[in-house]
Amino acid sequence: MKKPRRTGRWILFGAMVVVAIVMLYPFWVMIITSLKSESQFLSGGGFSWLSWSNLTSVIPVGQEVLSSTIVCSSSILIILCVGLPAGFAFSKLRFRMSTVVFLVIVSAMMVPLQAILMPEFVNVTRLHLTGGYLGAILVYASLGTPFSVFLFTTYFRGVPDELIEAGIVDGLGYFGALWRLVLPIAVPAIATVTVLQFIQIWDDLLVGLLFIQNTSERPITVGLAVLAAGRTTSIPELMAGSIISALPAMLVYLGFQRYLVKGLTMGIDR
Amino acid sequence: MSTTIPTTERPTFAPRVRRLTLKRRRQLSGVLFALPAIALVVCFIGIPIGQAVYYSFTQWNGLTSTWIGPSTWTQAFHNTNLWTALRNNGLLLLSVPFALALPLGIAVLLHQRVAGWRIFRSIYFLPTAISWVVLGLVAERFFAYQGTLNSIIHALGFSHVSTNMLGYESEALIALGITFVFTMIGTNTMLFLTGLATLDPSLEEAARIDGAGRWRIFRSITLPHLSRFIQLAFVMTVIALFSALFSLIFVMTGGGPGYATTTMEYLIYETGFNQGDFGTAALYGLILFVITGIVGVVQLRLIGSNE
Amino acid sequence: MRSFGAVAATLVLAGTFYASGPASASAKTTLTLWQNYGTEQNAVATKNLIKAFEADNPSIKIVDVAQPGTNYFQLLQSAAISGNGPDLAVMWTGIYDLQYSSYLVNLKGNVPASDLAKMEGMQWEAPNFDVSQGAYVMPLETQFYIGFYNKKLFKEAGIKTVPTDWTQLLADCKALKAKGIQPMVYGNGGQAISTEFYPWYDMSYLMIGAHSLASWKGLYDGAIPWTSSTNIAQLKNWATLEKLGYTNSDVLTNTANIQQFEKGKAAMMVDGTWDTAQYTSTMGSNVAAFVPPYSVKPITGVVEYPGDGFSVTKYSKNKKDAFKFLDFLSTTQAGNIINAAGLIPDISGLKTTNPVNQEMLNFVTKDHMTPYPMMDNYVQVNVGNAADSELPSVLANQTAPLKALQNMAQAWHLLPAAQRSSKDFAG
Repeated sequence: MKKPRRTGRWILFGAMVVVAIVMLYPFWVMIITSLKSESQFLSGGGFSWLSWSNLTSVIPVGQEVLSSTIVCSSSILIILCVGLPAGFAFSKLRFRMSTVVFLVIVSAMMVPLQAILMPEFVNVTRLHLTGGYLGAILVYASLGTPFSVFLFTTYFRGVPDELIEAGIVDGLGYFGALWRLVLPIAVPAIATVTVLQFIQIWDDLLVGLLFIQNTSERPITVGLAVLAAGRTTSIPELMAGSIISALPAMLVYLGFQRYLVKGLTMGIDR
Repeated sequence: MSTTIPTTERPTFAPRVRRLTLKRRRQLSGVLFALPAIALVVCFIGIPIGQAVYYSFTQWNGLTSTWIGPSTWTQAFHNTNLWTALRNNGLLLLSVPFALALPLGIAVLLHQRVAGWRIFRSIYFLPTAISWVVLGLVAERFFAYQGTLNSIIHALGFSHVSTNMLGYESEALIALGITFVFTMIGTNTMLFLTGLATLDPSLEEAARIDGAGRWRIFRSITLPHLSRFIQLAFVMTVIALFSALFSLIFVMTGGGPGYATTTMEYLIYETGFNQGDFGTAALYGLILFVITGIVGVVQLRLIGSNE
Repeated sequence: MRSFGAVAATLVLAGTFYASGPASASAKTTLTLWQNYGTEQNAVATKNLIKAFEADNPSIKIVDVAQPGTNYFQLLQSAAISGNGPDLAVMWTGIYDLQYSSYLVNLKGNVPASDLAKMEGMQWEAPNFDVSQGAYVMPLETQFYIGFYNKKLFKEAGIKTVPTDWTQLLADCKALKAKGIQPMVYGNGGQAISTEFYPWYDMSYLMIGAHSLASWKGLYDGAIPWTSSTNIAQLKNWATLEKLGYTNSDVLTNTANIQQFEKGKAAMMVDGTWDTAQYTSTMGSNVAAFVPPYSVKPITGVVEYPGDGFSVTKYSKNKKDAFKFLDFLSTTQAGNIINAAGLIPDISGLKTTNPVNQEMLNFVTKDHMTPYPMMDNYVQVNVGNAADSELPSVLANQTAPLKALQNMAQAWHLLPAAQRSSKDFAG
């Protein structure tokens, strides 16, 4: 009985290695390509740090990463501050028409950005919000709110009602209940929303392209796309920039991953 | 609330009054807590949809709009490029089963807890962190005439075969679909793995003792348990297909060759921002919204039937 | 002139990134100028023009803001919507300035008429292409869509004179191929990574070979449908080049065409004057210009066109000083600066120092070829977009000429009547 299982184990391991190779392929390409100079890249082989050292003169990487960070964190902050109480409200604080309102908000998840893009663009421009980060932040926040509300509501459904009731009886008030009781146990959900929204917003192109008009405030995704759209694009430099752009999202995921299991499953089983 | 009755005199009424106040307070808090979310969604999603409906009947360049009327809609449906875009979206939907089945298989693999599975799990999710823009660029090099795909094909011995998928109208969409499936592997695998982790192993053991084969266990125990996760993954994948694919197209193909990889989202961007025809773009946006809505309702029906 | 790419031909690089509004502290006026030239010669010319202008006008300062090529016009649009943007902006001519005319100031009466008259091809900057109605743009340069060829490779194949019609072109290609030389090369060099080669250099010449300049109006207003048999025939001839193997096989995905031409891997290339300086610097006297002979009879027209320049925005608060800058562009001093940057100044009578550019000017002045506009600055935007997508596939023999032209015709049909009428066109 043991022998077949061991070879089975090896086959499994082999399969997983193959999948890993496939999944790591983009990183491989990015690293290898970035370690060439442009002429080496066009002609074939070679190894050079040139593209990396040129990178900051080609695109203001540091500035753009900073911009991305500002936009991402602000949007996520709003998404959490807006979604968590709403999730609590829809799951525990039944009020008239709350089911309908909940469905409407969740159905907003299905609205593709492009459907509302034109009016949104003109509105935000008329409100003079495209000159800084605010316009983009509000757009990201409103696009991420439905999902956040959905996740928090589902998550809180898994929290026993008695916990809240006990707090109210003790004289906490609903805001107190939210702050003292709900918030601490919501950590996995917060982590889940943060990770998923971070990746979504960090990697987004369209909103950053259209709603942040100042070149100096451009996020890194847009910077890379503009670089790719240029007349004289150096692919190795582009790849170097891409590696830098991918790092923060990866770090966020690796940091939060142990919360993701709980965050996604709480409430789903019920 | 002036009807406060001293509890010492009328104990039977007091709890009822307190409960009434409590209910009102609960409802009020509920509304207050939900208000910011409602406001945000209404202002930035609801109102633009209404505006899109209005502007779809106009000739609009962002600055001035001229009312035209329902003929804008009838005209729009005469545009063959609209139908091409719809067809492309439909064809890309065919990639969704792959975007679900592959991660499911990988999740099952990971679930076997082979040595180092945690490292593998992180590796499989990492590409999700890469921007679609970058993935599109990498994919573009992969499918290029002098790209990696051809190198692999040649290395396998088929040296006379060379593909140029992005250069052919009939093949570019396939290349796009393959890239899309690749990008969805990370999130969906994680989702399914999470679901598998919540599966009670004793159920599997019991079934195995009863003599059920591996496939039977998978079909009758694992899959039903995962149904909620599959539904969530389905919803997220379709949403990504209809909205996030834009970045890939923008960088990989620019909608071409011809209109072969122009999807609805790309068509909207092109009509609005390249042609300055904001009115027609709003119109297309509404069509996209309706379609996404229909797909969403279909999904809900499927979920509902499983309950 | 979408050669610079509505699909992004230029790149924001070194230098000024910070947009600032017009500040009016003290007696000095500060103007903001937006340009989308990236790192090209035009950016160099702009910088030097500003320097010279500021030296002549010490009370005026101009801030040069480099915007990305990707969404330059949409940025301008957004600035117009919010009323908050530059005083001066780079604007492309032809249908571009007509499309955006709602926020551009008509220069008639604002720039001295005598100075406007010094510039060539002003009808392309005018309302309804009618010079008497004024102009929206002060041109910076004149450009050509033109063919470049490798003199040494032509000699190797025994070609003594450049081809002037389809028959000669095909014969020359055959001779080149017989010697193992790739006759023509196509690719998206100079365009965004995801795009195909820009079809309008070729399409302009295909239409020059098909219709006289006076008849081009018919393509605009429908008197000549896009699906006419002449057009189909021209496109068929064009596709033959790829079918017979006279071009590279990956026309849709090749990205290194410029380098390949420079290295002598191909004998001919259809391109424009923005690359002349690059070719003369890498190929020296081995490169020369020729008129793409896409015609059954010997070709008689060449695309010479002032493709871009500067406009004053309607919401500018410093219009008077902005007009002064535009006026400066018509001076000989400005012309010399522009020439020094490797561009061809648009001012009548001025010469250019790059020999290949001078060859092109000679096509008009000495060989008496008719100057045509760039077709992509002439046809309606929707039709242009349809063509951008469909025409490259025609060369690659993946789309039938008729189908591509039908798509363009459809785009034309969907336009509102006002945009299809040429009745106000001059001439």
